[in-house]
Amino acid sequence: MNKNIMLAGVGGQGLVLATKIISEAAFRAGFDVKTNDVIGLSQRGGRVWGSVRIGEKIYSPNIPPKEGDILIGLEPLEAYRWIHLMKDGGHIILNTREVYPTPVLLEQEEYPYEEIERLKDRYNLVEVDAVEEARKAGNIKAANTVLIGMLAKLLTIPNNIWEEIIRENVPAKAIDVNVEAFYRGYNFA
Amino acid sequence: MKTVLTGNQAIARGFYEAGGLIAASYPGSPTVEIMETLKGYDEIYAEFSPNEKVALEVAIGGSLYGARAMVSMKHVGVNIAMDPLMTFTQSPINGGFVLVTGDDPGMSSSQNEQDNRVIGRFANMGIFYPGSSQEAKEFMKIALELSERFKTPMMVDITSRVCHSRGIVELGNRADMKPKGFTRDQEKYTMLPPHTTKAQYFMKERIEALEEYAYDASFNILEEVEGANTLIVTSGLMYYNLKELNLPISIYKLGMVYPISTKRMKELREKYENIIVIEEMMPFIESELKLKGIDCKGKEYFSFTGELFTEDIQEGLYKAGIIKERKYADIKPVNTVNRPPMFCAGCPHRPVFDILKKLNVTVIGDIGCYSMSVLPAWKTSHVMYSMGATVGITKGMNKAMRRNGDKKPIVSVIGDGTFFHSGLPGFIDLLHQVEEEDNMTFIILNNSTTAMTGGQHNASSGRYNHKDDMHVNIKTLLNAMGIENVKEVDQFEYKMTRDIIRQATREKGISVIITARPCALKYKIKEPHYYVDPEVCIGCRTCVKINCPPIRMKKYEGIDELKSSIDPDACVGCSVCSQVCPVGAIKRSQ
Repeated sequence: MNKNIMLAGVGGQGLVLATKIISEAAFRAGFDVKTNDVIGLSQRGGRVWGSVRIGEKIYSPNIPPKEGDILIGLEPLEAYRWIHLMKDGGHIILNTREVYPTPVLLEQEEYPYEEIERLKDRYNLVEVDAVEEARKAGNIKAANTVLIGMLAKLLTIPNNIWEEIIRENVPAKAIDVNVEAFYRGYNFA
Repeated sequence: MKTVLTGNQAIARGFYEAGGLIAASYPGSPTVEIMETLKGYDEIYAEFSPNEKVALEVAIGGSLYGARAMVSMKHVGVNIAMDPLMTFTQSPINGGFVLVTGDDPGMSSSQNEQDNRVIGRFANMGIFYPGSSQEAKEFMKIALELSERFKTPMMVDITSRVCHSRGIVELGNRADMKPKGFTRDQEKYTMLPPHTTKAQYFMKERIEALEEYAYDASFNILEEVEGANTLIVTSGLMYYNLKELNLPISIYKLGMVYPISTKRMKELREKYENIIVIEEMMPFIESELKLKGIDCKGKEYFSFTGELFTEDIQEGLYKAGIIKERKYADIKPVNTVNRPPMFCAGCPHRPVFDILKKLNVTVIGDIGCYSMSVLPAWKTSHVMYSMGATVGITKGMNKAMRRNGDKKPIVSVIGDGTFFHSGLPGFIDLLHQVEEEDNMTFIILNNSTTAMTGGQHNASSGRYNHKDDMHVNIKTLLNAMGIENVKEVDQFEYKMTRDIIRQATREKGISVIITARPCALKYKIKEPHYYVDPEVCIGCRTCVKINCPPIRMKKYEGIDELKSSIDPDACVGCSVCSQVCPVGAIKRSQ
């Protein structure tokens, strides 16, 4: 398996932990792995992105243009921002919850709803309200775990490894909710 | 055993395995996580110091006693520490000493793009340049060993990508290193002439010995391809980005980028037709080679600024005629709405900058979360350079203004972390040559944490975190120094705060205002949320302009015009929006 996974979201959404969980699962399944997180100027509200590259031998953590297999959008606009990295027909796992950036909040620019809507024409797009699914699992903070479950469906890492890694990375009292959120994502139609 | 670590975690692990004992740091992106990881090792004394100079001095003390010691900081932090560094480096090192510095090509979180390899050379230090987590760990260990063997301080220069990148790392055990103890020897450790005169020769010989060692050292790797006529000289992440292209060319990968073996490079020059240097930022290796008389090319094909990705390396090699076709397409990112960072919901800085914006005064800013007041939503700080600089700059501009008959107010903003870091000497200077015409307002944004780098403790954190051992009261401190006009305000009392700031800008003399509210993120503030009554809202957007993440204009059922709204999941109940609303449309939920 050789997979280039891109993650994109907003500061404060937990992207760094998501890349950590994915990379540790890939490592435990016996793959070479490298990741990258870029956190901008601030803790909250700015754009953040990361990459996970999984394969037999990985040199650079960076995904070159049009080499991305899977894009996980923690937020729709942020997913759209990185679309140039994606292979045609690549998979996009999209959390549909918009987080509006300052130029939209100040009514200076429009949120790009139409461009995001058109992504399904060129890519294998699955949309999910991850926050709602997480709420059903018991806590909205497990939204990224829903997305990780959906990712797991596209990879060949056994579910027991994902479960182990999730257990190791979330607070003890949140384990059950996150495991539930993972399977909600994994079984999401 | 193997595990997945970030570059930062691997640096800390390397120090641990090498038997490191004393470590200090000042938080700054991209290296913050190094110290956070070190604090998890019980065997290591680890501290966040008030600034980089103190952190370096703590590490120097450990090294002088013969303990293995390290100090970590972001690239610009080394500027703060330069004074002790440039003199300490003249001494023969006792306990292994490493300065870890995080460069930031592309400046994702920095105010400049300085290339600290230049500082390493300037300070006569050997410089390691890791490109992966595994290398970060290994180079720390090697650097500490070489530091003791050659009696030299070493630099490990790591770029932001490598700091944050994760990779698989083979773990080792901790070496049992007992400090050798301090032996009094003034010639070595007191830097006055003639000791300093001798030290110049000592440093020269030390670097020459290290250069000789570099000739066939295992950390500099030569990968030769049969029949290749081009040699790429590179280091760090650039090696891995280059390897993605899978080219039939030879590579000399420098683990240690300074000093470079002249003998080795002359041999390679004889053997290859072209030598191309690939490095981010300054032509450091390229200049070194050219000084050695090694003909090579570099920056004419690769940018002097920003990061170099695989596709940039491909493009440079294409221009250089080394490759004839491109493996990766040149596809530009889509042009879409930007997402500048913003103050968090409930951020205590928000009302202060809303007030300053409306007062339309000149504001001299500083480094911290409040640097974001520079961004388009605010445009309220008009000067911003470096840590603690606001105080002196404000004084100097005030003196120039008053001598020019300019009576406009001038306001300085500084956070508590920055105040303790390097703002204090500026405040002491305010006592000197006070003049009747002076009019300066200093607002100390005391949120009781070093917020922007992730909420590290500082000298005023004890106010909110009782486990913290420092609680320096800024007002008491300033009063004791002789600055008398110091007021404390609760900035969530918007109108009172506005009146106090406005009054201060209008009166002569030095006014200091300390804001009281803690960081909402660090201290997990969550009060009942506020909501907009759309029937009362007049759509004036005064609340939207305070640029709070949960507040936006929205279409309500049965109402034609857009009205304001608040996302209850994101609101933490600071109440500032309700206080700026002119019609009382924003109310507390409970």
